[in-house]
Amino acid sequence: MTWITAAWYVVGAFGLIVFLSITVMVLTWIERKFLARIQQRMGPMRVGPHGTLQPIADVIKLITKEDILPSWADRPIYWIAPLAIFVPAIAIWVTIPFSESLVLQNLDLGLFYIVAISILSVLGLVMAGWGSANKYAMLGALRAVGQLISYEIPFIMAILGVAMLSQSLSLIDIVNDQSRIANIIVQPLGFFIFLVAGLAELGRTPFDIYHAESEVVGGPFVEYSGAHWAIIQLAEYVNTFAVAALIALMFLGGWSWPSMPFSGLAYNLLSLMWFLVKIYGVVLLIFWIRGTYPRLRIDQLMSFGWKVLVPVSFINIIFTGIVQFYNLHWSILTLLSLISIFVISYLIYKRPNASYKQNSIKIVPAKDATELPPENYGESNAR
Amino acid sequence: MLGSIKGLKTTLSTMIRKPVTAEYPIPEKRLDIDKRFMGFPALLWDYSNDEPYCTGCMVCIRECPTLCMSATMSDNERFSEGKSTRKKIIESFEINLSRCIVCGICVDVCNFDAIEMSHEHELSKLKRNLNRVNLETLIDMGKQFQKKIGWKPLQIRNIGDPNLREHLKLKAKAEMAKISMKDGETKDHISNANDNLSSREGNSPQ
Repeated sequence: MTWITAAWYVVGAFGLIVFLSITVMVLTWIERKFLARIQQRMGPMRVGPHGTLQPIADVIKLITKEDILPSWADRPIYWIAPLAIFVPAIAIWVTIPFSESLVLQNLDLGLFYIVAISILSVLGLVMAGWGSANKYAMLGALRAVGQLISYEIPFIMAILGVAMLSQSLSLIDIVNDQSRIANIIVQPLGFFIFLVAGLAELGRTPFDIYHAESEVVGGPFVEYSGAHWAIIQLAEYVNTFAVAALIALMFLGGWSWPSMPFSGLAYNLLSLMWFLVKIYGVVLLIFWIRGTYPRLRIDQLMSFGWKVLVPVSFINIIFTGIVQFYNLHWSILTLLSLISIFVISYLIYKRPNASYKQNSIKIVPAKDATELPPENYGESNAR
Repeated sequence: MLGSIKGLKTTLSTMIRKPVTAEYPIPEKRLDIDKRFMGFPALLWDYSNDEPYCTGCMVCIRECPTLCMSATMSDNERFSEGKSTRKKIIESFEINLSRCIVCGICVDVCNFDAIEMSHEHELSKLKRNLNRVNLETLIDMGKQFQKKIGWKPLQIRNIGDPNLREHLKLKAKAEMAKISMKDGETKDHISNANDNLSSREGNSPQ
C-alpha cells in the first residue's frame, strides 16, 4: 500500500463519517417535520427558520448531558456496546458507491460484505441489553435477536435475487446492469421483500418491537443517556440511510439516468444528485410508513417473517432462476413477480387457517336468566 | 392488505392538509381572544370626562374572596370646580394578580361600571411578587380592553361629564315618553322600562 492510497483511505473515511453525521442531522429534522405534517402539526419551528437548526441544538444538548452509569451495570460491556452498534453501521458504507468513481473501496463481494457486517450490530444490541442490568433492556435485546436473525434470511434472499439478475455481487456492476431497466420493474416481489425485511432489520415502526416505548420503554437503550445514546441514535439513522441507499442501488437503478446529456464532471455531479434524490425518496417512503402503521405484536412479526417472507423470498429466487436458466425475456419475471404478489396478498387477506369464531361471550336476556350457560361456555375457537 | 394501502392514502391526505397549530407566543400568529373572554380585572377610563370611573368605594375590595385588592380614596377636586359628577375619586389601587382567581365578583358588585374583566391573562414572571399591578397599569389594561371591544358605559348615572349626563337623561326620558304614547294601556311595562334604564341589561344610551 502506497502512501497515497493510505492517505485516500484516511481522508475518505473521515469524509464519510462527516457526511454521514450531517446526513443524520438532516434525517432527524426531515423525520420530525414529515411525521408532524402527517399528524397536522408543524414540527420544530423555533430554532432557525422552520426549525432547521433544531438538530444542532439537539446535538449540543445530547453532548452536554450527563452520562449516567447504572450501579449494577456490567461496565466494560455497557461502555463498549454503543461502539459495537456504531462501527458496523459505518463500516457498511465503505463499499456503498455514491457514483461510479466516488467510492471508498469497491469490493467484488460488496453485497456479501454488507450482509456480513450488518448482522454484527445484533451483537451490540445484546451487549447493550445485558450490560444495562435492566429487565426492559434485556427483554428488548432478546427481542432484537429474535427479530433481526429471523428477518436476515429474507433480507439476504432478496439481495441474492438481485445478484442473480446481474451476475455480480459488486454494487457498481449491479447499477450498471440496471442502466436500461431498473430492477424494481423486473423484480417487484424482490423489492417488496427487501423493503419489508429492511424495515425489520432497522427496527423502524411497523417492526419497532425491540425498542417499543410502550412495552419495553426503549429496549436495549433504556439506561443510556448523553453522548452514548447519541452514538446509538446516530447508528440507527446511518443504518436507515444505508438501507435506503441499498434499495436505491439494487432496485431503483442507483445513479443511472434514463438518458444523460452530459459527460465528465457534470455527469458525475448530476448522477450523484440523482442518486441522493432516489435515496431521499426511499427515506421519505420509510418515514411515511412509520407515520401510518401501528406496531406489530411479536408473534405477528415472527409468523409474518417465517410463514410469509421466507417462503416468498425462496419463490422469488426460484422464479429468477427459471427465467435466467431458460434465457427468458425479463417481462416474464415481472409478470411472475406481480402474480405472486397478488396471490400472496390474497392468501394473507383470506387467512384460510385462521378462525375468527369466538363464542367466549353469550348474551342471555334477563328474563331468561334461569337458563344455564352451555357446556362449552367461555371456550374459544380462536387460535 | 387493501387496508394498508388505504392507511397510506389517509396519511397522504392529512400530509397535504395545512397544520392546525397556532404558534402561541408569537404575537402575529396567535389566535384571537373571544370578546366574552374573562381575564384579570382592569379599571376603566371615562373618556367623556378624562378620569377613571372608579370612586374608590371599596365594594369590590370587601367582596373579593381572595383579598387580592387594596385601594385608597380621595376627594375629587374637579367636582368642586363643577367639571365632574364624582365627589370622590380613586387615589391608589393595587391588585395582586397572582392571587386573583378571576371569579368576576368585583365586576358584579361595582356600582359605577368602574371595573371590568379585561382580556389580560398572561402572568409568567420571574418572581412571585411581580404580578402586583398598580393604578396606572390597571387603567392601561382597561384602556386597551375598552379600545379592543369598543366598550360603552351601561348606565347614564355613571357618566362623569355633568352636561352630557343631563343631555342623555333628557333623551332617555323622551324615548320613554314615546313608548308610553304608543302603548298607553300597559303602564306596568313603562315603569319596568324606566327601571331597566338604570340596569345593566338596558340598551346603551350613548
